[in-house]
Amino acid sequence: MSTKNKKVMVVGGGIAGLTAAWELSRFNIDVELIEKTPFLGGYAIRYCCKATDECRQCGACTVEAMLKNVVEEPKIKVHLATEVEKINNNGKISVNLKKSSYQPDSDTQGVVRGYSKNNSPLHVIVDKKKCEENPDAVPEGAVELDALGFSGKLDVDAVVLASGFQPFDAEKKGTYGYKKFPNVITGLDLECIMREQGAVVRPSDGKIAQKIAFIQCVGSRDERLGNLWCSQVCCPYALRMAEKSKHKNVDAQITVFYMDIQNVGKDYAGFYEKCKTDFRFVRNIPVDIFPMENGSLSMRYMNEEDGLCINEEFDLVVLSVGIMPGPDNSNLSDLFGVGLNEDGFFAGIDKLNSTSTLNDGIFLAGTVAGPKSIAASKAHAGQAASEVIKHLGVS
Amino acid sequence: MTDMINTDMEEINIATDVLVLGGGLTGIKAASEIAGSGYKVILVEKDAELGSQKEPETLVGLKEASKGLQDFEDKITAESNVEILTQARLVSAAGVTGDFTARLSKGEEVIEHKVGAIVVATDFSAGVLNENYGLSLGDNVLAQSQMAELLASEAGKQKFANKTVAFLVGLGQDGNPLVMERVLKSVLALQEIEGCDAYIYAGDLKVASNGLERMYKESREKGAVYFKLTEKPEIVENGKTISFFDPVARRGIEISPDFIVVEEELRADDLNKDIAEILRINVGPSGFLQNDNVHFFPVRSNREGIFVAGSTREISGLPSAWTDVENIAVEVKDLLGDGKKSVAKNKAVVNEDKCVICLTCYRCCPHGAIYWGDKKAIISPVACQGCGICASECPMDAIQIGGFNDEEIIEQVKSGVVSGNGAPSILAFCCQNSAFEAGEMADMFQMQLPDGLRMIKVPCAGKIDLDYILNAFVSGADGVLVMACHPGNCKSENGNTFAQWRVNEAYRMMEEAGLEKDRLCFAGIASNMGSDFSHIVVDMEQKINELGLSPLK
Repeated sequence: MSTKNKKVMVVGGGIAGLTAAWELSRFNIDVELIEKTPFLGGYAIRYCCKATDECRQCGACTVEAMLKNVVEEPKIKVHLATEVEKINNNGKISVNLKKSSYQPDSDTQGVVRGYSKNNSPLHVIVDKKKCEENPDAVPEGAVELDALGFSGKLDVDAVVLASGFQPFDAEKKGTYGYKKFPNVITGLDLECIMREQGAVVRPSDGKIAQKIAFIQCVGSRDERLGNLWCSQVCCPYALRMAEKSKHKNVDAQITVFYMDIQNVGKDYAGFYEKCKTDFRFVRNIPVDIFPMENGSLSMRYMNEEDGLCINEEFDLVVLSVGIMPGPDNSNLSDLFGVGLNEDGFFAGIDKLNSTSTLNDGIFLAGTVAGPKSIAASKAHAGQAASEVIKHLGVS
Repeated sequence: MTDMINTDMEEINIATDVLVLGGGLTGIKAASEIAGSGYKVILVEKDAELGSQKEPETLVGLKEASKGLQDFEDKITAESNVEILTQARLVSAAGVTGDFTARLSKGEEVIEHKVGAIVVATDFSAGVLNENYGLSLGDNVLAQSQMAELLASEAGKQKFANKTVAFLVGLGQDGNPLVMERVLKSVLALQEIEGCDAYIYAGDLKVASNGLERMYKESREKGAVYFKLTEKPEIVENGKTISFFDPVARRGIEISPDFIVVEEELRADDLNKDIAEILRINVGPSGFLQNDNVHFFPVRSNREGIFVAGSTREISGLPSAWTDVENIAVEVKDLLGDGKKSVAKNKAVVNEDKCVICLTCYRCCPHGAIYWGDKKAIISPVACQGCGICASECPMDAIQIGGFNDEEIIEQVKSGVVSGNGAPSILAFCCQNSAFEAGEMADMFQMQLPDGLRMIKVPCAGKIDLDYILNAFVSGADGVLVMACHPGNCKSENGNTFAQWRVNEAYRMMEEAGLEKDRLCFAGIASNMGSDFSHIVVDMEQKINELGLSPLK
C-alpha cells in the first residue's frame, strides 16, 4: 500500500455513484462525491418498496442501505449542490468545482425535504425570504442551500462519471394530458405517492384509485421521438407496482397497455403468470386521454377483437415513463472528453467493458451509460470500481 | 487498519488461493482478473479444453468475445499463478471462507487445495423447443444453433438464397433478451443473402437489452416481417404452412416457408445441482445458483467467500458476465486482502460448557458459517454474518451474539415497557435491516406513531427469541410486534421464517395462558417504508385500545 492514498472523484450521488464511492472506499481510496442537488440518492431513493406478501426484488431498499453506507463512511467526502466546472486531464486530473444552480422540481414553502432519513441535512432552505415570513415552518437542523455548495479545486487520480438519467418528460406526449389532468401521473409520481402514503391515491381528490391503467413504453421504443431503445425498467416497475396496488386494494381493477412485456426478476415466468390472472393485458398503446367531470379519464384505444376504437373510463392513468439520457449529457461529454453513443448515453470502450472510456482515467457507472435497473446500476458501478482500482494499481 | 485499535478485534491468517469452477469464457476471465490481483488461481474445467463449451459467435454472438477468449487464454496460460486443471471436477469442499479445503478429481488422481474463496462460473446450455411447437427437426426445421452455424460460413449462407425463412420465438416459452438477440442476429444475416425473405412469429419481443430495439428496427427496414402473436400459429405438416388470424386485418395469413427456425431456451448448467450440494449454496429459480434476493446481487451466494458469475446465476450475455467478474474481483480482493484479516472476537461466541454439539446451529446457519471441533461448535468469524439465528435456535442457549447479548435485550424489553398517559405499551422487535430503519424514517418524517411504542433492534428477525416475546408480555407490554423483512428479502435468507415460527409458537402459548392473540402481531416491512411502519403500529394501538390493557399488567 502506498503511503499516500489515492483520490477519486465520483460525479453523481445516485445509486451508481453511491455504490462506486463505497466500493472504492473499501480499498482505502479517498472519495470526493459530487452531487448537483442538495440530496444524495438520485431518483432511486424516491422509489417505494414493491413487496406484496413477499419481496418483489425491485431493489429500492438496497438504495437506502447504500446511502447509509456512504454517509457513515469517513473516507467519502460529500459535496452537495456542487457541480464540475472544468476538468484538466494530463495524466494528473485537476478539477474545478462550483456551486450548482439547483432549482427544486416543484413549488415549495421555502424548504425542501430529502427523500430518505439518511439524507444529511434532511431539510434544505431554498427560499430564505419565504422562510423568514413563516419561521415556524422551518424544521430544526434545516441548512441553507448556499451553505452546501463547494467552489474550489481538486486534484484526483481518476473520475467516475455517474450522473445518471432523466425520466422521460411525459408532457411531450401531449395527447396523454400529463400535468393538465391531475389523475394522469407518471410511474415516478406513483412511486412517491406509494412511498409517502402507502396507498394508490388519486392526486385530484385523495381517494383510493379503483380502476387503474398503466401505459407502457411512454418515451421508450418510440420511433417518432427517435428513442430507439427499451428502457428495461418500466415493465418491471409497472408490473411490480400493479401487483403492489392490487395487494393494497384487492378490489382494484388494473389494465396494462403494452407492446411487449419484458421480463421481471429471475422468476419472471411465474411472476408474469400471476400478473395475467390479476390484471387485464391489452396489447395496444392508447392514443388519447380525455378528462371527465368526476376527475376520471376516458381513454381511447383499439380493441383487439374487432380492430375498432373504443373509449374506456379509468380513475387513474399511470404513464410508464422511460429512461432518457441525462439532461447535461452533451455538456458533460464536452467537459469530460468522453463521447456519447447514438442514443445520447455515454459510450464505453466496448460492449464488454462499458465502464472504461477512451479518455484515460475517466470511467462510467450506471445509467449514464444506458438504461439500467437498480441492481444493474449497482453491478455496473462495481465494475467501474474494479476498473478504477486496476487503473490506480491499488492493492 | 483503525480496526486493530479495537481490543475486541483479532487478526487471523486466511488462505488466499482462489478456486474457479468452470473454464468457459466467464471462468477464464475470472481467473485472469483474480490472478491479476496477485492471488493464485486454480481453474477447473470438466472438459479437455478451456472455452470449449461456448462457441462465442453462435451462442453469445459477440465478435469481441472470440478475440477476448484468445487474449485471456494466452494471458492465463502465461500467468504462472494460474493452475489449469482440465477434465477435472470438484469432489468436496470442507470448511469456510478463508479456509476451504477443496478436493478435486482429475482422472484417478485426487488433488487437495486450501483456498480462501471459490468462484462458480458454469455455462448454460441451449435446448431447442421444437416439441413446444409440435415440430420435428429435419432438413426444413432447424434449431437456432444450427441456423447460426450455417450463417457462419459462405457455403451455409447459400442454402438460404431465394428462400423463405420463418422464425418462431417467444411462443414456445417466454424467452429473454439473449434468445431474442440470437434470432435478430440471424434475421439480419439472412437479409444480406440474395432473395431471402424472413418472417418472425413472435410472442413478446424481449428487447430489454442494449441495442436490441435498434436491431429490431434495422431488420424491419431491411424487409423482415414480424407477426406479433399472443398464441402459437397453426403449423401444418411439420412446417409446410404456418397460418394465423390477424385480428386487425381481419383475415387469415398463411405462409409456406422453405425453412423454419425454432427458438432455443437457455438452461442452467447440469453441473449446478452437484456444485450447489457440494458447496452448500442455494439453487434459485430454474436451476441457476442464486436466490432471487436483492441483497445477494450481483455476485454473492448465501455463503461468504463463494461467488457466482454470469450464467451460473442467471441467463445473461457476456457483457453482464464481464460485469459480474469485475464485481467478484473487487469482492475477492476485499475479502482476502493480504491474507491477514481483522475480525471481531465476539461476533458469535459459543459457550463450551453449554454446547453439547447437537449441530442445531450447523443445520440452521443460512451462511454455512458453522462447523465443529472436539468440544464445541465453532463459528467462523469471517463467514458469520452475525444474524443470530443460531443463538435463538440453540436448545442449550450456548451462543451469544456480540452487541445483541440475550441479557441486554431482555433488559431492553423490561425498560421498554412504559406506561404513561394511559397509552398502551407496545414493544416492537425490529430487524435492523428493515423495520428498525423504517421506524426511524417514520419518526424523522413525523409520521404518526403511538406514544407507548418502543423499538428493540435485533440483527435479524431470526434473532427474536420466543423468550423475548414472552418476557415482553410478562413485563406488562400490552402489545408486541415482531417486524421482519419480507419473505425473499432477508439478508440471512430465512431469518424472517424463523421469526414467524416463533410467533406461531407464542400464539399457542398465549392461547393456553388465555391472552388475546391480537396482542401479538407479525409483520413484513422494508427499510424504506416509513408510512407502512406507521400504519402497522397505529393499527396495533387501535386493536389494543379495543382489547384494553394487558391482564398481565
